[in-house]
Amino acid sequence: MEQPVNRTEQLQEQLKIVKTESPWRIALRRFMKNRLALIGLIILVLMFLLCFIGPIFSPYTLNETDVTNKNSPPDSTHWLGTDKLGRDILLRVMLAGRISLTVGLVATAISVAIGATLGAVAGFYRRFADTLIMRIADIFLALPTLPILITLGAILSDLKVAPNQRIYYLMFIIGVLGWVSLARLVRGQILTLREQEFMQATEALGLRDNRKIFRHLMPNTVPIIIVSATLGVAGAILLESALSFLGLGVVPPTPSWGNMITAANSLIDFRKRPWTWIPPGMCILVTVMAINLIGDGLRDALDPKMKHR
Amino acid sequence: MKKRLSLMLVTLMAFGSILAACGGEEAAPADESAVTTPAETGEEATEETPAENAEESGSESAIGLTEATDMSMNPAPALARTDSMIIGTVAPQGVFNPLFHQTAYDFAIDDIIFPSLIKVKEDGTYENDMADKIDISDDNLTYTFHIRDDANFSDGTPVTANDYLFAAKVLMDASYDGQSDPLSWNIVGANEYNEGTSADISGIKVIDDKTVEVTVSDYDAMTQINLGLIPPMSEAYYGANYKQGDVSSIKELNNKPMGAGPYKMTSYSAGQEVDMEANENYYGGAPKVKSLIFKVTTDLTSISTLQSGETDLDNVTVNEDNVEELQASGFLDVDILKNNGYGYVAMNNNNPLFTDVKVRQALTYGLNREEVVVAAYGPYAEVINIPQSDVSWAYTAENIDTYDYDPEKAKQLLEEAGWVEGADGIREKDGKKFEINFSATADNPVIEALIPIMTENYEELGIKLVTETLDFNAIMEKKDRGDYDMFFAAWGLTPDPDTTVYITDGAQNNSGYSNPKVDELYAQGKKELDLEKRKEIYAQAYQLINADAPEILMYQRTNMLAINGRLDGWDISPYKEYQHSLSQVEIAQ
Amino acid sequence: MSQYIIRRLLQMIPTLIGISIIVFAISQMVPGDYITASQNPNMTAERADQLRAIYGLDKPPAQQYFVWVKNMLTGNLGDSFQHKMPVTSVINTYVWNSFLIAFVTLILSWTIAAFVGVFSAQFQYSFFDKVVTLIVFLLMSLPSFFIGLLVIKYFALDLKLFPTGGMTTAGLKVSGFEQIKDIAKHMVLPVAVMTALSIGGLTRYFRTGMLEVIRQDYIRTARAKGLKERTVIFKHAFRNALLPAITLLGLELPGLFGGAMILERVFAWPGIGQVYLASLNMRDYPLMLGFTMFLAVLTLLGNLISDVLYGVADPRIRLK
Repeated sequence: MEQPVNRTEQLQEQLKIVKTESPWRIALRRFMKNRLALIGLIILVLMFLLCFIGPIFSPYTLNETDVTNKNSPPDSTHWLGTDKLGRDILLRVMLAGRISLTVGLVATAISVAIGATLGAVAGFYRRFADTLIMRIADIFLALPTLPILITLGAILSDLKVAPNQRIYYLMFIIGVLGWVSLARLVRGQILTLREQEFMQATEALGLRDNRKIFRHLMPNTVPIIIVSATLGVAGAILLESALSFLGLGVVPPTPSWGNMITAANSLIDFRKRPWTWIPPGMCILVTVMAINLIGDGLRDALDPKMKHR
Repeated sequence: MKKRLSLMLVTLMAFGSILAACGGEEAAPADESAVTTPAETGEEATEETPAENAEESGSESAIGLTEATDMSMNPAPALARTDSMIIGTVAPQGVFNPLFHQTAYDFAIDDIIFPSLIKVKEDGTYENDMADKIDISDDNLTYTFHIRDDANFSDGTPVTANDYLFAAKVLMDASYDGQSDPLSWNIVGANEYNEGTSADISGIKVIDDKTVEVTVSDYDAMTQINLGLIPPMSEAYYGANYKQGDVSSIKELNNKPMGAGPYKMTSYSAGQEVDMEANENYYGGAPKVKSLIFKVTTDLTSISTLQSGETDLDNVTVNEDNVEELQASGFLDVDILKNNGYGYVAMNNNNPLFTDVKVRQALTYGLNREEVVVAAYGPYAEVINIPQSDVSWAYTAENIDTYDYDPEKAKQLLEEAGWVEGADGIREKDGKKFEINFSATADNPVIEALIPIMTENYEELGIKLVTETLDFNAIMEKKDRGDYDMFFAAWGLTPDPDTTVYITDGAQNNSGYSNPKVDELYAQGKKELDLEKRKEIYAQAYQLINADAPEILMYQRTNMLAINGRLDGWDISPYKEYQHSLSQVEIAQ
Repeated sequence: MSQYIIRRLLQMIPTLIGISIIVFAISQMVPGDYITASQNPNMTAERADQLRAIYGLDKPPAQQYFVWVKNMLTGNLGDSFQHKMPVTSVINTYVWNSFLIAFVTLILSWTIAAFVGVFSAQFQYSFFDKVVTLIVFLLMSLPSFFIGLLVIKYFALDLKLFPTGGMTTAGLKVSGFEQIKDIAKHMVLPVAVMTALSIGGLTRYFRTGMLEVIRQDYIRTARAKGLKERTVIFKHAFRNALLPAITLLGLELPGLFGGAMILERVFAWPGIGQVYLASLNMRDYPLMLGFTMFLAVLTLLGNLISDVLYGVADPRIRLK
C-alpha cells in the first residue's frame, strides 16, 4: 500500500511549508481566521460590486432629468426615491460609489505610502534626514490649501485636461495633501521604538537599514497607520465633493457620495426628504466601517506581539 | 490635524463662494446696488411699470407680496419688542462709509445713516432727498443743488455745501480706493485735484451754506444721478486730519459713522450685530421705531430665526420649500421681488465656432431654457430674451424673438451655416468637429440643471459639449485672455439701462460681441435726457441684440424678503430696497 | 535641551522664508485679483488700473514681495482691501472669538477622548466599545455642516434649549456675569458639535495607543505584581499611550486660532474662519497672506512644542 507513504510525504511537505511560511503568510492566515475582518472585506467587495455592476441593471440614465417627478419618496419605480431634478437616487448612489470608493481608497493609499515612508525615514535616521523631512512637513502644514487648489484647478483647465480625467489628478492631490500628520505620527513612534532593546539586537546582528525599518520598526507602527487610514478614507470622500467646485473633482451631473450629501443643505431637506441624504451617508458609513474592520484585522494579523491567534 | 483643517477649508470654500457672491446664489458679476436685497410690493410694481403687463403670464402669480394670514401666531419674543426691530443680515464688513463700502450688507446700513441729495424711486428713476431743489443749466453742464434748510447731522450740526465739497474731494483723491469711478463723472477740475496740481476742485463752487454748484465738462443721462448721489459727509467730523493725497484718516472712522440719516449707529460688534437708534433730528421726521438692530444670521438658519421671532426681517433664498415654510408660519409677510440681474451663457463671439449668427441662434433655439429654469427655480424665475429686467422702464417685448425651444429649427440653421453631420453623429465643417468647452461655477442651482439638459439638447443637434466647473475668478481670467468657448455667469443690473456689456470693446463686454448699430444706439441712449426717447432707443438696441444672439440669455430670478406682519408702512420695489422704508415703518399694535 | 530648542528656533527662519516665498508665489498664480474679484459692473479699465496702482498690484512681483516682507518685519501686515483697516486689527477683531470656542473644544475633546479611548481599549470588542466605534464613524461619515444643522434642529428649534446661532442675544445689554452666561449659552451648541467631531479621530488614536501598550510585557508585570487595575491603566499604561497624542497636540495649536469655517458659518459665530475665507474669495491679499503667515508661525511653534514634549514624556528619546 502506498497510501501511508504518501501521507507521510504529504505531512512532510506540509511541515516544510509551515517551516518556510513567511511572516506575510502568517499574517494572511491570521487575517482569514478573523471573522470580523472577513465580514469587513466581504462588505467592501459587495460595495464595489454594487457600484461597478449595479448601474448596468438600472433602467435610468445619468443625464435623464424628470422635473415632473422631482423629490418623490421611495416607491416601486424609484427604490430610493428621486432628487430635486427627478433623478433616480439608487442609480446615482451606485454611480457615485465608483468615484467615491476609488477616490477614498487611492488617495488614502497615496498619503499613507508617503506619510509612513517619510515618517519612518525621518524617525530612523534623525539628524539631517529628520530635519529636512520635518521642515518640508512644516511647510506643507503651513501652506494655505485653498488657493493652491484654485490655482491647480485653473491650470488643469488651461491645459485643457478633459474634465472627466481630472479625477485622477484629484486623487493624487488629496493624497499628497494628507501625508503630513501621519508622517509626524510615525516618526514619533519610531523615535521611541528605535531606542528599545529589540533594536539594539538588530544593531548587534548587523542588519541592513531598510531591513531594520521595514521588517522591525514599521510593523510596530501599523496600528497608528490603520487609524490614520480609516480616518483618511472618510475625509477624502467628503473632500472630493468640495473640490469639484474648483474644477478638480467630478463635473455635474456625475454624482459622488460627498456631493449628494452636500446637495441636501437645508433644514427642510433634512426634515422632509431623508431619502436624499441617508443613502449616500450610509454608504460612506458602511465603507468606513468595513475598512476599519479590515484595518483592525490587519493590525492583529501583523502584530508581532500577538502570538496566540 | 491637517486633514481635518483642509477639509473644512475646502468644504466651506464651497459654501463661501455662495456667500461671497453677494448673498445671492449666482457667483456673478453684480453691481452692489443690484445685489442688495431687492424688494418690491408686487401690486405696486405692476401698476407703475406698464412694461410688466406685456409679459404678464400665469406663473407670474408666484411673484409679489403675500401678506401674513394669522397674526395670532406671532411668537412672544417678537411681540415683546414694542419699540425696536431686528433685521437679519449677512455679516457686514464694518466699512460704514458710503464712499468706501463694498458689500451689499454694509451698503444697507450706510443707506440709513448717510442720505444723499437724491434717492431712488420704485421705478428706478430718482427724486429729491436732501436737496429740495436742483437747477440744471440749459447746456446741461451746470447743476445747482439746494440742500434742505432742516438737514442736520445726527450731532446737531447743519449739513452744508462744504460737506458736499468735502465728500467730493475724498472721492477725487489720488488715494481713494472705493468702488466708485469719480473721475469718469467729468467734474471740471477733478483731474487736477486728483493729480495734486490744485488744492481745490474748480468745478465745485460753494455758493452759500446750503447751495453748491457743480460744473461738468461733458454730460450724459447719468451725470445728474452721479452728482446727486455724492453723500455730504461732515467735514468737521471726518475732515479733521484729512490731507490731500491721503484718505486713511477718513477710513479710520469707518466703524464710527456719523451722518444725517434717520438712524445713527450706537454700537457695532463685528460679525454679531449693529445697534442703531432713531435720529430725532432727521429732516424727514423722527422714525417711529426707536431702535434698530442688525443681527448677523446665516442662510442656513434665517428661516428659523424669523419663525422664532428672533428677527423681524430677513432675506431668504427663494425656492418652493422656503416659500411654503415662510407662508405656513402665518405671521410673516412674504415679498418675492424680481432680481435686478440675469443669468446667461456667454459665447466667445471671436471664436470661429460662434462668429456665424446662425450658429448662435441655433444654439439658443436648441436649448430648452424653460426646462432648465423651471428645474432650477420652479415658478420663481423666468426665461428672458433681452438683457433687461422686465420691471425696468427700458424693458420691451415688441419685436423680440422668444427663441422657444425648437431643435428642428436649430438643426436647419446649423445646416445653413455649413455644419453637417459627420459619420459619428457630430457635426463638422471644413474638417473641424463641433465641440464646445463649457465652463461654469458650481455653486449655483442653475448649473446643476443646466449641464445635463444642455449636454443632452446639444447632443441631439450633433454638438459635443465638454463641461467643467471652475472657480469664478478662474473663469473670468480665461475670459480676459479670450481663451474660452462658452461660460455661464450672471450680471447685476443698475436702475439705469446704460451699460458697456454690448458695446464694441466695452469694459464689461465678455463675449466680444460687436455691432456698430448697437454701439451707436447705446451712445445715443446715454446722451439723451428725455425718458420717452431713451425708451425707444434702448428698445431698438435690445431688438438688435435679440436678433444677433451674442449670448444665450437664460433667466431673471427673484429675491425673497420675509417681514414680520407686526411691521407696517413698507414701500419696497426691486429698485427701492427695504432700508429706504425704515424711516416710515411703524409697529402695529 | 535648551540648545535643541534654540537650534529649532533658528531653523524656523529659513522655513518661514521658504513658506513666505511659496505663499506669495501662490497668491501671484491664483487667477484674478481683488479688482476682478470685486466684479463691479461699472468698473472701467482706467479705474481698474488706478486701483491696482493704489494697492501696489502693478509693481513687479519680486518688488511686491520685498515690500511685503519688509513691512512684515516691522509688524505691519498692511491694510485689508476689503475691510479698509490694518490686517492686524481685522485678525485681532475676530480671532479671539474663534479661540474661545476652539480652546473649550480642545479641553473637552481631549479629556473625553482620553477617557473614552482608554475604556474602549480596556474593554475591547465590548458593547461599549462597539457603540463608541459606531458613533465615531457615523460622525465621520457626515459633513460637519450637516451635523451642525441636525443639532440646531433638535436642540435649538424643537427643544428650544439653546439659541440657533450668534454669540450674544441681539439687543441684550448686560455685563459681568450675565454677559458671560449669555455667551456661554450661545457657545454650547457650536462647542458640542466641534467636540463631537474632533473626539472621533482622537478616540481612535487613544484606543489604539492603549491597545498597544496594555499588551506589553511591563503591563503584564505590573498586573502580576498585584497593582490595582486603575493604577496599572492610568499610571503605567496611559502615559505611554499618550505618545502619539502628543504629536497631534502640536498640530492643534494653529487650529486654536485658525477658526472653524464651516461651523462658524452654520452657527453664525463671529470667528476668523469666515473672514479668512472671504479674503481668499475676494483675493484680499494682505489679509490672506498675513493670516496665512500668522498660522504658519503657529504651526512651526506647535510642532516644536510637540517635539519637546516628546522628549519630556519619553526620556529615552535624545533630542539633539
